[in-house]
Amino acid sequence: MSNSLQGFDARAATFAADVEQAFWVNFWISIILFLSVVVPMIYFAWKYNANKVKNEDIENVTHNTALEIAWTLIPTAMLMVLFYFGYTSMQVLRTMPAESESIVVKVEGSKWKWRYEYPANASGHVHKIGGAFEKPKLDEKGKVLEKGSMGITALYVPVNTNVILEMTAPKNDVIHAFYVPAFRMKEDVVPGRTTKQWFNATEIGEYDVECAEYCGTDHSYMYSRIVVLPKAEYDAWFNSTEDTPKGNYTKTGDALLLRHGCTQCHAIETGEMKIGPSLKTRLSKEQVLDVIKNGQNKLGYDMGAMPGGLVAGADAEEIAAYVAGGMKGQQPASFSACSSCHGEDGKGMGGMAPDLIGYDAPLLSHVFKNGKEGMIGRMPAYPDMPEDEISAIAEYLEKNSK
Amino acid sequence: MSKTYFDETHCAIGHPKSTFMQWMLTIDHKRIGIMYAAVMFTFFFVAVATAFLMRLELFAPGQQYIDGNTFNQAFTLHGVIMIFLFIVPGIPAIFGNIVMPLMIGAKDVSFPRLNWFTFWLYILGCIIAVSSLWVGNGFADTGWTFYAPYSINTNTNVIFTLVAAFILGMASILTGLNFLVTIHRLRAPGMTFFKMPLFVWGIYATAWIQLLATPVVGITLVLAIMEKYFGIGIFDPAKGGDPVLFEHLFWIYSHPAVYLMILPAFGIMSEIIPVFSRREIFGYRTIALSSASIAGIGYLVWGHHLYTSGMADIAKTVFSFLTFFVAIPTGIKFYDWIATMYKGKIVLATPMLWALGTIITFAIGGLTGVTIAMIGVDIHLQDTYYTVAHFHYAMLGGVVFLLFAGMHYWFPLVTGRMYNESHAKVAFYLNFIGFNLLWFPMFIAGYLGMPRRYFDYLPEFQIYHQASFVGAVIFITGLIYMFYVLIQGWRKGPKVGVNPWRATTLEWHLPSSPPPLENHSKVPYVDFDPYEYHHGEPVVKFDENMRRID
Repeated sequence: MSNSLQGFDARAATFAADVEQAFWVNFWISIILFLSVVVPMIYFAWKYNANKVKNEDIENVTHNTALEIAWTLIPTAMLMVLFYFGYTSMQVLRTMPAESESIVVKVEGSKWKWRYEYPANASGHVHKIGGAFEKPKLDEKGKVLEKGSMGITALYVPVNTNVILEMTAPKNDVIHAFYVPAFRMKEDVVPGRTTKQWFNATEIGEYDVECAEYCGTDHSYMYSRIVVLPKAEYDAWFNSTEDTPKGNYTKTGDALLLRHGCTQCHAIETGEMKIGPSLKTRLSKEQVLDVIKNGQNKLGYDMGAMPGGLVAGADAEEIAAYVAGGMKGQQPASFSACSSCHGEDGKGMGGMAPDLIGYDAPLLSHVFKNGKEGMIGRMPAYPDMPEDEISAIAEYLEKNSK
Repeated sequence: MSKTYFDETHCAIGHPKSTFMQWMLTIDHKRIGIMYAAVMFTFFFVAVATAFLMRLELFAPGQQYIDGNTFNQAFTLHGVIMIFLFIVPGIPAIFGNIVMPLMIGAKDVSFPRLNWFTFWLYILGCIIAVSSLWVGNGFADTGWTFYAPYSINTNTNVIFTLVAAFILGMASILTGLNFLVTIHRLRAPGMTFFKMPLFVWGIYATAWIQLLATPVVGITLVLAIMEKYFGIGIFDPAKGGDPVLFEHLFWIYSHPAVYLMILPAFGIMSEIIPVFSRREIFGYRTIALSSASIAGIGYLVWGHHLYTSGMADIAKTVFSFLTFFVAIPTGIKFYDWIATMYKGKIVLATPMLWALGTIITFAIGGLTGVTIAMIGVDIHLQDTYYTVAHFHYAMLGGVVFLLFAGMHYWFPLVTGRMYNESHAKVAFYLNFIGFNLLWFPMFIAGYLGMPRRYFDYLPEFQIYHQASFVGAVIFITGLIYMFYVLIQGWRKGPKVGVNPWRATTLEWHLPSSPPPLENHSKVPYVDFDPYEYHHGEPVVKFDENMRRID
């Protein structure tokens, strides 16, 4: 995530240079104007200081037409230069390229996540990418143990290609803003309206997307990423039916297992034996890493040994951690509110709140709407909890039940 | 010993014996001004404490002391208090009340009972605003801007805040009306508009904005309330309404409100600079008329808050163009002030230090405002810490610093005593250094993409938040120190007579210090300019019956 801006000069989209230029023209003109006020002020305060000036030397100068015209017209001219640069940089930012020469992606911002929907590819598949971010992990004192991750909510785009974003928010949601600092672009995402912005990314890499219009509780976590891929890699992904591109750009979770083909031999949803054993078997991180590195044939499985070295490096680490953690997958954003009483896995905390395993969407929905009077305490109602969050929580709980 | 306004007063109803009730019912403009000051600075410190709580939370990424929802309520509380309870009414209610009638030779404002009523309306608004802290789901979490549809959907007590802002708006309109009539009707004979002190010009321009712009926000707030509770479908997109309409209506008031805050502050600057340069002001008419033109153009620029709201590009262009034209009269004022120092005799007393410090901070605030008036650049900087730093430089480093300057300048007038100069100067330097350390790093953080209203942030921004925190500690220390020095000055400071600064304007020609109940002994005849100095001494002198003796 340290990919926002590398210093003042990071420019990752075509128009970033125009915005930069406008900013620096403004910066230097501002410096000139600032000095034109402050330097004489300090000089006069020193030169005409009370302990240097005799009363007889004071002069009541009250007008100087030439000077007054100068300090009206020169700053006016400078300000018009700034207006011009503001205007031209806006034109570059806001002149949409032709849709025929661009990729048009639908963006939906809602509390508190971004979703992307691509046009159908050759085989008619529509890529829909969406989900919540993952909050940073903290210890009891609130110290950051692990930075948050933006999960797999990323907008994948090819480098050097026009991308038009058609953005909206659900009608019952609030205003958000899609802000990419590295691209110098931002536009509000307004419920019931479609706003547009475009970009043409010039550098392969990952860039932060931030919500810049205040939208409530998790406004500060409404991140996403733009992943700029080489064209070939993007095309290969776009024409496939996979959720995420192959390559080095996806992180954590099911996606990694899918991408590296683990699930062809290992079940992750159930305990059943496929070609290899289910990964739901309790394994430590070291064990998983060891198997990934060295392969495994001790138990003489029917289908033969697992070869070593299928995955390496950071991905192997991630997979091992994920499998060892019981493949909890991504916790829905809103679950953080539940987990403080019901525990990270929703299985309840003794004396505090009950085990939630077995609660399905309709039941959850009922409790959120009405609250619940329990034997231990009271569960407050959250009548504003959106349907999709409820189903995400239900799904998460179901996953944890296994 | 003659009686001062602390000894006797007129009351709105009857003549109560108890001193306390006399203060509660007073219609004397000076007493009302002091009561405004007491209430406002109390709220100011509440809002400063709230801001410090947020800075504390932002010292490190992750959650430390307060959670996201509390943080959201905290910045709303901070904004609502600072804007609606403090800065908007601020200088007009305090110094407009205390000083403006004295400056034009009036015995009080035109409608003293209305003035009393307005004060209590203001108090009612304050009580409603803060009472929601202890009711139901607590204080609003919408931000002080109440953007729809968030304000429509939230289940916090946004109704309290909306009603409070409406009532405070009423108070603001009535203050404006009162001052307008006072300035038109109660100027001393001979005092034409161009013989008024420039602070009166500032109050005058502001009063028009209060009168004409505030109703717009009043209506908008009522519409928001009706939307929230009756679902009239004007702002709520789920009912076919338009949330961007709310933004427009809100800023049609709230942008002129920015000038409403700064114009009387500029007025204070225009009073202080000539007095401490011991000479006549440069370009009196330009300064007076630039106040009026800022007030006028200020109505036409609200759209620059909406560059990223999905507004048409042509509208952005027009709003941007007009915005630059607010910068021009403001710049001219600055050059006039600097030119006033030329060939003067500059006394760096505390009020002058505050004024000159403000020239630096407000220049930064103004010029960074020019940055975000540029459309293409603003698209990047909108809603980031850059904008936050900009308006704090302009509002705190401009309006509030000049309020402090005025506080030091008119302190002997109000109290009849003087504070300790050397301590007051130390307090100024602490404030100035702390202020810059607090806000300047935010320009950089904002430029690098730190969005505002974030309760948690990416770790790469930590260094800027930490620098800000250190600045905040120094700044708050300076504030407490400054108020301590002033309070000590009021209690124990030496008595200094009616005109310790040897200033020229009428508020320094009163028969006693502090002034008596009905101000000047006789109504003076004014056929001279407000800042007439000769060899560093005031030209115009009066005897005890306000007859000229120079």
